[in-house]
Amino acid sequence: MHHIYCPYCEEAREEEEYSYTGEAHIERPKDPAAITDEAWGDYLFFRSNPRGIHHEMWYHASGCRRYFNVTRNTQSYEIHETYKMGKLPTITAKTIAADTLVAQQGDAS
Amino acid sequence: MTSLSTNVSAGDMMESPLHHHADHTNASAGGIVMAEDKFRGHLNLRGNPEDNAFTSAVESVLGVALPLKANTSARNGDSVVYWLCPNEWLLIVASGTQGQVEGDLRLAMGDQHIAITDVSSGQTLVNLSGSGLAQLLQKSTVYDCHASNFPAGKVVQTTFAKTGTTMCKLEDGSMDLVIRRSFSDYFFLWLQDASEEYGLRVA
Repeated sequence: MHHIYCPYCEEAREEEEYSYTGEAHIERPKDPAAITDEAWGDYLFFRSNPRGIHHEMWYHASGCRRYFNVTRNTQSYEIHETYKMGKLPTITAKTIAADTLVAQQGDAS
Repeated sequence: MTSLSTNVSAGDMMESPLHHHADHTNASAGGIVMAEDKFRGHLNLRGNPEDNAFTSAVESVLGVALPLKANTSARNGDSVVYWLCPNEWLLIVASGTQGQVEGDLRLAMGDQHIAITDVSSGQTLVNLSGSGLAQLLQKSTVYDCHASNFPAGKVVQTTFAKTGTTMCKLEDGSMDLVIRRSFSDYFFLWLQDASEEYGLRVA
């Protein structure tokens, strides 16, 4: 089974202890009354569904009962990093693309 | 009509979560020994660990420093403090003293932003020991309970037969588990089944 590192328990724990709770870094509109119904609907219901790098929230249900963020590849299920709530990811689709480019250039030269 | 409860004290009326299994025995060998530590006071404490006033107030009442490191515990005689998450702890104190401890904590902390909840009636403390303990844990929990990963004093919240538990390894190698009252019967039935080949004794 999968082992996921909990940034609060500071340990890798069995996947059974966790539950997935959806996309991360979704900001609630500051003034919901001022935005259009469409923008509000997008905020409430529409989520990105990328193939590849996805930033998402996980909940350590059987452990410390804390939410944290996970950067996961939806294609390979590889977990690149986990980080605390309120922090930003250090690995994104952009940084991975840049790393791949550097690696390819290294191979070419 | 005479009241039935006139000569019965509150203590006699209390039933621990596992009381109906107290006389269970199917083994003289006792490869697994289960002992329920009944009626202990369980207090859930929340506060800001970065606030010195909070940590020192807790220390002054409990006589032991709050464990601030993840998955650790602190013991003072019969009382024990488990780390649950960065701002949450479980205090297990002697039976009947939880009200006193809660009052003392509130007094010491004044108007700090904290929470203390008496959860004694919702859970119970169970100690598991015996020669079959390692194998029993292997089939009951997803966590690696080997001594190299789980030294004495460590506290882990994980699943035990799919129900939530808080485990703490003791110096003598036995394991203390905090289980929910509502899951205690399920827990015991699982234990009975899982320890069949080692022999279960209820101490």
